[in-house]
Amino acid sequence: MSTTSPAEWTERSRELSRLLSRVALGDRQAFEAVYRSTSAQLFGVVLRINSDRAQAEEVLQEVFVNVWRAAGGFDANLSQPLTWLTSVARNRAIDSLRRRAAEPATISRFQGSEDDEGGERDLLDAMPSAAAGPLELLTRASETHALEECMETLSGEQRSSLALAYYQGLSHAEVAEQMSQPLGTVKSWVRRGLLSLRSCLDRAAGLVSGAAKGAA
Amino acid sequence: MDYSRPDLVERLSAEYALGTLRGGARRRFERLLPAHPALQDALQAWQQRLQPLSAPVAPVAPPPQLWESVQRRLFGEPAPQPSWWARLGLWQGFAGVATAGVLALAVLLGQPVPVPAAQPPFVIVMNSTEAGATIVKAGFVASVSADGGALTLKSLGELTVEQGRVLELWAVPGKGAPQSLGLVAGGQATVLRAQLLTGTAAFAVSMEPAGGSPTGAPTGPIVSAGTI
Repeated sequence: MSTTSPAEWTERSRELSRLLSRVALGDRQAFEAVYRSTSAQLFGVVLRINSDRAQAEEVLQEVFVNVWRAAGGFDANLSQPLTWLTSVARNRAIDSLRRRAAEPATISRFQGSEDDEGGERDLLDAMPSAAAGPLELLTRASETHALEECMETLSGEQRSSLALAYYQGLSHAEVAEQMSQPLGTVKSWVRRGLLSLRSCLDRAAGLVSGAAKGAA
Repeated sequence: MDYSRPDLVERLSAEYALGTLRGGARRRFERLLPAHPALQDALQAWQQRLQPLSAPVAPVAPPPQLWESVQRRLFGEPAPQPSWWARLGLWQGFAGVATAGVLALAVLLGQPVPVPAAQPPFVIVMNSTEAGATIVKAGFVASVSADGGALTLKSLGELTVEQGRVLELWAVPGKGAPQSLGLVAGGQATVLRAQLLTGTAAFAVSMEPAGGSPTGAPTGPIVSAGTI
């Protein structure tokens, strides 16, 4: 398991965690401090997934409204504060895509696929232009982290499909379209990619810090 | 579905965290989450595993008024935004000021004071609001032609608007949402539109991001307002 105990956190994580516990008690100053220190980062995350500026601003508002209301549910023993905040932001951003898909004016280019993957949005709307591409981001993430070794154990297709889904908020069907591959193939890339990633990361975490674990 | 199957719990949590669990499956997962500690644990583990991927995403500063909007949604304060037009009652006090303004303006322009005889043009003085005064001191005079078909807006003084922001003019009905009359460029605006005065209770100017309000309703603080 990759959750670290609060004792091993960075100074920033500890500070955020302390602030969030005060937010849970209704401390507005602490709430503002959380906003000041995380809003730009979370806005970046939201904008990658929903590149519509006005919608992204709306999502970010919802994120912080949610943080204020749900701060009591944040448990420092279970997750790191930034992970919790990022998850709230990602979930809201993905939900905003669903809302857009429900708008009649948007023509969906995809049929609902098997199981429950409901309406999807128009892929063309979703592609941010100038910013770093998902694969480039993935490379940078890997560079800055021990995640690198594990990412390298994945196939190129697995890496690409995970990156498109994570950074761009693409569904299976949209990843398939983007990569010009059958839906079933992409689903299996995603599934196997996640499984390999987990076993590799958990193995690495089990080896405490050092240990240049290859597993390649 | 049987959520007690560990492999299923793992797969759903992973795909939820990644974002590929969509539609009904996503909503069902969210409904079940509070009552299933196994799902919560698996999801938290996955969120933590994937978290490093977010590190290289470039931060983007949200617009300054977003924080105000959050506060208003939660605490209903400092409140120029959500229902400012609903609080028109508070503005009635401006009416007296507006009348004085009409006189002052008429003197200033060396024109006869408009007498409510036939159908004089309406002149509305829009005062800088309390909220707006801290951002930009913006008083305006709006004159509307007698037939209500044309409006000319002029700023009463130097107007400096911060980079990347614009001022937008709104017609505020007695009931319902304000309607945009366009942007105020270089401290003035001209609006040609039929029936500008019909149902309009006030005019207001708000501060908006470049290009104007993205939502069709005022999103920034109201910097100036005047009732008819």
